[in-house]
Amino acid sequence: MKRAAIAGAVGAGLALCWWGAGLHAALDLRALASFAHGLLPPDLSPAFLRVVGVATVRTLGIAVSGTVLAIALGLPLGLLATPALWRRGPLAAGERRGPSAALSWAAASLARFLRAVPDLVWALLFVVGFGLGPLPGTLALGINTAGMLARVYADLFEAVPPGPVLALHATGASRLQAFAAAIWPQAAPSLVAYTLYAFECNVRAAAVLGFVGAGGIGQEINLSMRLFEYGQVTTLLAACIALVLITDAASRRVRGRFQRNAVHGSGVLRAPVEIRARARTLPALLWMALLAVAFQQAGFLDASAPAHLGRFAARLFPPDLSPDFLAGVIEPLWQTIAISIIGTAIGIALGAVLAVPATATLVLDDRDPAAVPARALRTAAYAAARFLLALLRSIPELVWVLLCIVAFGIGAFAGAAALGLHTAGVLGKLYAETLEEVPVAPVEELRAAGATALQRLAWAMWPQARETLASYTLLRWETNLRLSTVVGMVGGGGLGLALYNDVQLGWYPQAATLVLVIYLLVVATDFLAGRLRAPPAAGAAPASALDLVTAG
Amino acid sequence: MIYEARQVGHVYPSRTGAVQSLQGIALRIEKGERVALLGPSGAGKSTLLRLLNGTLRPGSGELRFEGRDLSALSRRELRQVRRRIGTVFQLPSLVPSLSALQNALCGRLGSWTLGRSLRALLSPTDEDKGLARAALQTVGLSDKAAARADELSGGQQQRVAIARVLVQDPEVLLADEPFASLDPALRAQLAELLFEVAKGRTLVAALHDVEMAMAHFPRVIGLHAGRIAFDVRTEQVRPAMIDGLYSPREAG
Repeated sequence: MKRAAIAGAVGAGLALCWWGAGLHAALDLRALASFAHGLLPPDLSPAFLRVVGVATVRTLGIAVSGTVLAIALGLPLGLLATPALWRRGPLAAGERRGPSAALSWAAASLARFLRAVPDLVWALLFVVGFGLGPLPGTLALGINTAGMLARVYADLFEAVPPGPVLALHATGASRLQAFAAAIWPQAAPSLVAYTLYAFECNVRAAAVLGFVGAGGIGQEINLSMRLFEYGQVTTLLAACIALVLITDAASRRVRGRFQRNAVHGSGVLRAPVEIRARARTLPALLWMALLAVAFQQAGFLDASAPAHLGRFAARLFPPDLSPDFLAGVIEPLWQTIAISIIGTAIGIALGAVLAVPATATLVLDDRDPAAVPARALRTAAYAAARFLLALLRSIPELVWVLLCIVAFGIGAFAGAAALGLHTAGVLGKLYAETLEEVPVAPVEELRAAGATALQRLAWAMWPQARETLASYTLLRWETNLRLSTVVGMVGGGGLGLALYNDVQLGWYPQAATLVLVIYLLVVATDFLAGRLRAPPAAGAAPASALDLVTAG
Repeated sequence: MIYEARQVGHVYPSRTGAVQSLQGIALRIEKGERVALLGPSGAGKSTLLRLLNGTLRPGSGELRFEGRDLSALSRRELRQVRRRIGTVFQLPSLVPSLSALQNALCGRLGSWTLGRSLRALLSPTDEDKGLARAALQTVGLSDKAAARADELSGGQQQRVAIARVLVQDPEVLLADEPFASLDPALRAQLAELLFEVAKGRTLVAALHDVEMAMAHFPRVIGLHAGRIAFDVRTEQVRPAMIDGLYSPREAG
């Protein structure tokens, strides 16, 4: 009875989102067929391959320098934003409240703002300020990731066992000394691991920054799509997927040295390990040279006019808060929320369907009695599901939007469908890996009692995994809400479309209001989700770190 | 006089309402005195020690260190006071991923600038190393200088904590049940070491072990439910006073 009521409420809610936001699913099969036909053969002419190569290097350069900037800004912000160091807890108990508490609060608020406004929104604004090119994209990625990292760092610093910190504090160590001697050494391994996660996310993000004119693979895909050169799109997508998969694999290898069982995305739940012996793979000079190339690619050498940016920033103020304009914001706001909900629902459904055959412990079990052909079929299903998940995941959301626009036409449904497809790839992988890591004893008992694979899934694996699955899903919805504000920029409707139009038309005070609305929306959901979520168990990864994992 | 407390009280805020952890504490401790704090868990011993080492502010009343009101001090002045007071905590108080030598050197943090302490942590000078090695030798751990703190046994960790105090070289030594988690044989050894280190310094130690308090401390303060139940010379302690301290019925 209660279940039926919940199912009814969810159904009604989804229907409300669907109609209320004006989503129309009209699959244009003919356009899709001609698009699919055009994708082959890929354009492999030497001249175009050179373009692809340059774009790929540029994308990687943006990702690397954006991450470096994010660390440089995020570390001091995170240090300042750590409540246990400046605001409350044992370190503050002996002293009168000083100005550092206010400074710490300000740092936390700044980090929240940088994080809540999506990187593409920052990029859109910076492109106006700096002009086209990779520099605005890099800066946008850098400051958005800085906000993200600052929160992760602060959470990690806060979670350090307090005994040693208090002991050093009692010897007369200052806060910064206590940080350097007692907090940093304890937090450093996890900090490196999560920074690498952020780098992986940034490679994907850098690929799409081109959509607002920041160069790299995204810009080329956008261009080729608009020129109907679908053969070029195939090549560019292949390059993008290869870049994402290669950097993921490389980063995962390094991460494995810092984190036990970091091979899987959900390995983040495991305790970090420390490296004792540091293997130097490349000399420092070579690293410096590579970093210099990355910054050069990211456009730091042709930075023309920061003064220009100042003039642009001045034009954003004051934001347009007239009742007429605010009333007009309600519709795109509602559409954005609906896109995120419908997109997440599609992602959950498709991801769950794909996750079952992608769960190795369920499908690839030699002990199940089965004839050889049946076993081959299972292996094929597993490989296909994993491949499909990887494909869905490594094509960036904005590229999915372009593809969905071909299939469904411009509008909010293309945005929701695109979000759903990408989310299916992310959630499907996380679902499968969570199911694989479930404690085996109850599963084995059921097997001994003669349960089939699907019965084991329903009665032993699902009950154990369900809370983790729910928390991943909730986190992903938060990410999707941020993303749904930007899918509009390439024609997916909602706040993104409104913002894009206002910036293109030069209506800057209105654009500033929209940025504010996006910020408030994200902060409100953060708060809401924080209330819904169970507090993390002691020793487990903080929610902000899991946020990074579900963002990929 | 090194400490003087007048009507000191402290309240811990908690979810179910405030908990009065200390109430109406009045005491004087002279320079060079040796004082044992006795009382059941939750009597307020740890809170009192945190007040004495300046990491907690009294909620009411006045606590003076060498005549200066601790609540009136600025952050900088408090640091200067703290560096003259060494505290040995219950386990674990070492930084697990630092070596025994680095942990011992942490005793100097209060006298160093940030830059100086970063240098000492990353690449200690020969002088730093000598200082830490001498302390580790005194506590009998000269062969473990390079070992990480989390690779040491509980007893060895507590020795490093004592070495940290030696490096700090404070005038006052506070100890918060430093041997509570150790087995009896180790406890005796470490107690001896602590008393050795405490020579020439003021010592205030919260203890579980009544016999140890009676054997080594000329003055005993009994705490019960956040109040001072008695504050007498050791020879004046009667068994009934101790029993009263640990019996739940005797309200402080």
